[in-house]
Amino acid sequence: MSDTSVKQAAGRPAGLAAPGSRALGSTLPAIILSSNLGQLLLALILPVSVIAIWQLSGTNGSLFGGVLPTPDRVVAAWWTWAFGATGMGLNPYSGTWLANVVFSTQRVAQGFLVAILVGVPAGIWIGWSRLGAQVLDPTVQILRPIPITAWLPFSLAVFGISGFSAIFLIALGAFYPIVINTTQGARHVERNLVRAALMMGAGRFDILRRVVLPAALPAIFTGLRIGLGIGWTAVIVSEMIAVKSGLGYVLWDAYYVGRMDVVIADMVSIGVMGLLSDQLILLVERWALSWRLAGAR
Amino acid sequence: MAEINLRQVSKTYFAATPVRALDSVDLDIAEGDFVALLGPSGCGKSTLLNILAGFEDASEGSALIDGGAIGKPGPDRGVVFQEAALFPWLTVWENVVFGPKMQGVPRADYEDRAREMLATVGLTDFAGSYPAQLSGGMRQRVGIARVLVMRPRALLMDEPFGALDAQTRMAMQELLLTVWEKLNTTVVFVTHDIDEAILLAGRVCVMTARPARIGREIPIALPRPRSIDDLTTPEFTRYKAEIMAEMRSAHRQAESTAA
Ligand SMILES: Nc1ncnc2c1ncn2[C@@H]1O[C@H](COP(=O)(O)OP(=O)(O)O)[C@@H](O)[C@H]1O
Ligand SMILES: [Mg+2]
Repeated sequence: MSDTSVKQAAGRPAGLAAPGSRALGSTLPAIILSSNLGQLLLALILPVSVIAIWQLSGTNGSLFGGVLPTPDRVVAAWWTWAFGATGMGLNPYSGTWLANVVFSTQRVAQGFLVAILVGVPAGIWIGWSRLGAQVLDPTVQILRPIPITAWLPFSLAVFGISGFSAIFLIALGAFYPIVINTTQGARHVERNLVRAALMMGAGRFDILRRVVLPAALPAIFTGLRIGLGIGWTAVIVSEMIAVKSGLGYVLWDAYYVGRMDVVIADMVSIGVMGLLSDQLILLVERWALSWRLAGAR
Repeated sequence: MAEINLRQVSKTYFAATPVRALDSVDLDIAEGDFVALLGPSGCGKSTLLNILAGFEDASEGSALIDGGAIGKPGPDRGVVFQEAALFPWLTVWENVVFGPKMQGVPRADYEDRAREMLATVGLTDFAGSYPAQLSGGMRQRVGIARVLVMRPRALLMDEPFGALDAQTRMAMQELLLTVWEKLNTTVVFVTHDIDEAILLAGRVCVMTARPARIGREIPIALPRPRSIDDLTTPEFTRYKAEIMAEMRSAHRQAESTAA
């Protein structure tokens, strides 16, 4: 089996038929459905019908007696939010979308980076050394059940109304899945790999850096993806309360002044940013773990 | 090259129920010897090899290499594992130069030798491949090359060809014979395959069932260089009959002591 075909198989979304299956029962609908376009069409059925029903059941651009705006008004609100002229006119959101997206993304990135810098070494230490497990693991296990939302008042008291408050919560929220998955990965390193490294003269630090860390990498990436998702939750929660900028701030502010069209446009923006950042991690993962996909026997 | 001496070496694993894996093993291996340790699986062959490698400590007795106690694992005793134990995230080349790099050898001093060893095991064209892209036999050849690069005083091989199909296995045995006849390193080769033991070794040590002792040591006087063709000679068959009889009696002995 050549390595390219393995890569393709790995890169194909679940549920997609392999190229070989086309030979059997190659009816026209089957061919259409197994193409990329067919996949896209299948995926769009549900969201398109929901949006269509939502749009059609509105009267005068809203549902439930004016509570919920129809999709066309959401799109219009987003357009003004994204491309409208800035300045304090009747619409304070006009033209501020990009700035708010950048604020939130920056906080997630900073908090996430802190979580990686602390979580990965801590996880390696807990998973690899008995001392590390004895020193760190109990504390992590005791703190973990406290939801990050419960840390909000604490972080406000310590960091005040500032970006640090948000970054602290993001870092804390992302830290747990990263440290736990890294621990799992470091704990299950194949014994003979460590022995081989020792036999070739590797020192203690070499073993950690060149054997335990790479062996734990698949598990670490699992932790990173979960951690990043929590990071986005944390940024929205903390911006609603602890900061005066970002998608979370706009979300709460718009709700307060009854701009549900902006609220929904904001929700969609958060979803898109979460999806994009997850894809980014997947991309890095595929690159860093390319040795796993390199080929079959 | 190295001389290895085991004096009354015993090993007990203290698991949930203590397992006595080795019982008063005496073994002397001269410099440049090729010794096969032959025994049924679970008898303690790996345990013995792991003590030589420094992965495990003997519970009793002394294990010496060139007169000094065997210490921590190190590049003077190159180990070849059954499943190769290559680093899957490193290319073939990176795996082969891992040892010299860890020992702080300057690049210029190991590159030529690493290239030579890759050529010796016939993997020059696969230097940039990852282990996942190689067959089992190729992986094992990388495992041998990465050890030879370090110029070990002894080669410790734990059923290195045990997981390979018959054909690949024979090719690997011939390769090992060629390499060893050139380098003349001390080799301790663990196997449960009688043919393999006779074909490769200058001496076959038959181990009894657990707790393992070394039963009889049978010198193999087949002339070198040897090849796969030796497997069908009358002398070979004679050795095989002798060793099989020895293994059967070792087995009976173990059963009667256990009873
Ligand atoms: N780390 C260990 N802890 C407990 N028992 C072990 C350990 N390693 C090996 N044993 C036991 O010691 C005996 C000999 O094992 P081993 O040396 O691996 O045999 P072989 O290599 O000949 O198959 C077996 O019964 C095995 O279960
Ligand atoms: Mg074994």
